[in-house]
Amino acid sequence: MNRRRFLSMGCVCCLNLIPGISLAQSDSWPDWQIPPRFARPDLSSDEGGLWALMDREEKRVRQSPFCIRDPQLHDYVLDIICRLGGDHCPDIRAYVMHNPIFNAMMAPNGMMQVWTGLMLRIDNEAQLAAVLGHELGHYFSRHSIDQLRDAESRSAFAQFFGIFGLVGAVGQIAAIAGAFAHSREHERVADRIGLELMSKAGYDPAEAAKVWENLLVELKASPNEDPTRENPMFATHPPADERRETLARLVEAHPGGVTNEATWLDKMAPYRREWLDDEIKRSQHEQSIALLNRLISRSPSQPDYLFARAEVRRLRSNDTDLDQAINDYKSAISLGNAPPESYRGLGMIYMARKQTEEARTNLGHYLDLSPASPDGLMIKSYIEEMKI
Amino acid sequence: MKRLLIILLMGGLVSCASVGKVETGENTLGERMTVNLDGAWNQIKAPGLGPAQIWTMEGLPIDQLLIYTGLKDGEAITSKNSASGGKMKNLDFRASMTPDEIVSLFEGMLTRDGSSFKLLKLEPANFGGLKKGFHFEFSLIRKVDNTQLLGMGYGAVSQGELFAMLYQAPRLSFFPRYRGKVEQIALSARIKQI
Repeated sequence: MNRRRFLSMGCVCCLNLIPGISLAQSDSWPDWQIPPRFARPDLSSDEGGLWALMDREEKRVRQSPFCIRDPQLHDYVLDIICRLGGDHCPDIRAYVMHNPIFNAMMAPNGMMQVWTGLMLRIDNEAQLAAVLGHELGHYFSRHSIDQLRDAESRSAFAQFFGIFGLVGAVGQIAAIAGAFAHSREHERVADRIGLELMSKAGYDPAEAAKVWENLLVELKASPNEDPTRENPMFATHPPADERRETLARLVEAHPGGVTNEATWLDKMAPYRREWLDDEIKRSQHEQSIALLNRLISRSPSQPDYLFARAEVRRLRSNDTDLDQAINDYKSAISLGNAPPESYRGLGMIYMARKQTEEARTNLGHYLDLSPASPDGLMIKSYIEEMKI
Repeated sequence: MKRLLIILLMGGLVSCASVGKVETGENTLGERMTVNLDGAWNQIKAPGLGPAQIWTMEGLPIDQLLIYTGLKDGEAITSKNSASGGKMKNLDFRASMTPDEIVSLFEGMLTRDGSSFKLLKLEPANFGGLKKGFHFEFSLIRKVDNTQLLGMGYGAVSQGELFAMLYQAPRLSFFPRYRGKVEQIALSARIKQI
């Protein structure tokens, strides 16, 4: 087993939950209680070895240039974790990592990572609590060590069958499929615990399902693809109808609660443009437009979202994309406080369409607003060329 | 199964890779481009590496010089097989692209694995004997090992084809060491009109 595989088992990823939208199978779970704080396992045990490895990984994460070292954002996330995790609060360290992908992960030693791609996509504090609660569910259930032990036994099983050629390959696939089933059960348990935790902390549990529903809309927006190709475990997730029914029962069992939308939007505001810029650079145009359609619907007066959608459409340039991009740029500008790059985007489209006067005006406006921009000399050359 | 196939493919590539020497003096690259070198470089050769020639002084992954010698409209700037993690971005070159759009393509290629790219400079420049070329500089934090790199590039579109050079190396030692050599290659580049 190589280091990377070992590490991936050590961190139980939230992304694995995408197919496991499967929520708890029953309405309530009265027997479950938060376990007592964990003692550090003996280093000679397999769990102790996993902790030691995660400690080294945590050191790397802590020093990573991708780690966002903003005390306010960090304390905010940690505060939610503590409200959910109760007595375990001192054992958990949170790291907000700069990465445009939707993901969060929890290691058995108490290291939790939350990626910025996830934070861009959530609508309120309750949704963030749902993800954090789910990750705590893995931690409280010590799923990492279960998966490690399961993988070790399956690895031996698969290697045994591997010596028998094609027949052996079938055996290996069966072993892998078994691992997915094992993981899905973990996800169900983590879902249940996460819902319990967020409900007890006073959050509206109905927000939990919205996180995954929103993500599914994005994944389904990809051309010629379906979610099962995004993640192999999607193939076996429970049908949508079943999920809706399960969700309805759960919401009935845990009614009410707050979302704290305004608090969340205020906390993420300083990062909004940076995270949107990362999203644009993902070059997953269809998914980005699906995401931005939702964000614009949620926050129609926020120019950053309109600008981002315009940029994605300008870069994609299909059919009516450029006309729609112009509309979005103009709408963003009319709202006030739009990114200066809105004028650059407009100027570039007009330049491509040989509408030189409009192009020069908008590109000039961009340079006025961003005189030190790294592409300033190039933009100036565009303007000069159009004068000739 | 798909991952297994990719692993087998990558394993196959590694086993087929070879390193050749690019000699000092004038070298013809592709059908329309020549460069004049004041020192030898190493060239990595392997099937499926993509449309660019890959040169290096210190060896991959320390430093890397990609050279595009006439990428046609609609062709991707990197091999579809070389996507690392996640899905393949749309990285197709279009002849109508402006320099900033071409730089965005390179940015997309360099950030497929989650690396962080920051444009430091983009300006008009002569390249390959063409006046309508461009030059850009960037910084990159490589995701796989958190190494901080600096990079530079030159490019021009001639008769609908992209000619470009893209160099990157760790910022503290290797980039300053080879920056002059790369600039010399860019200055020597000539693109034939047909």
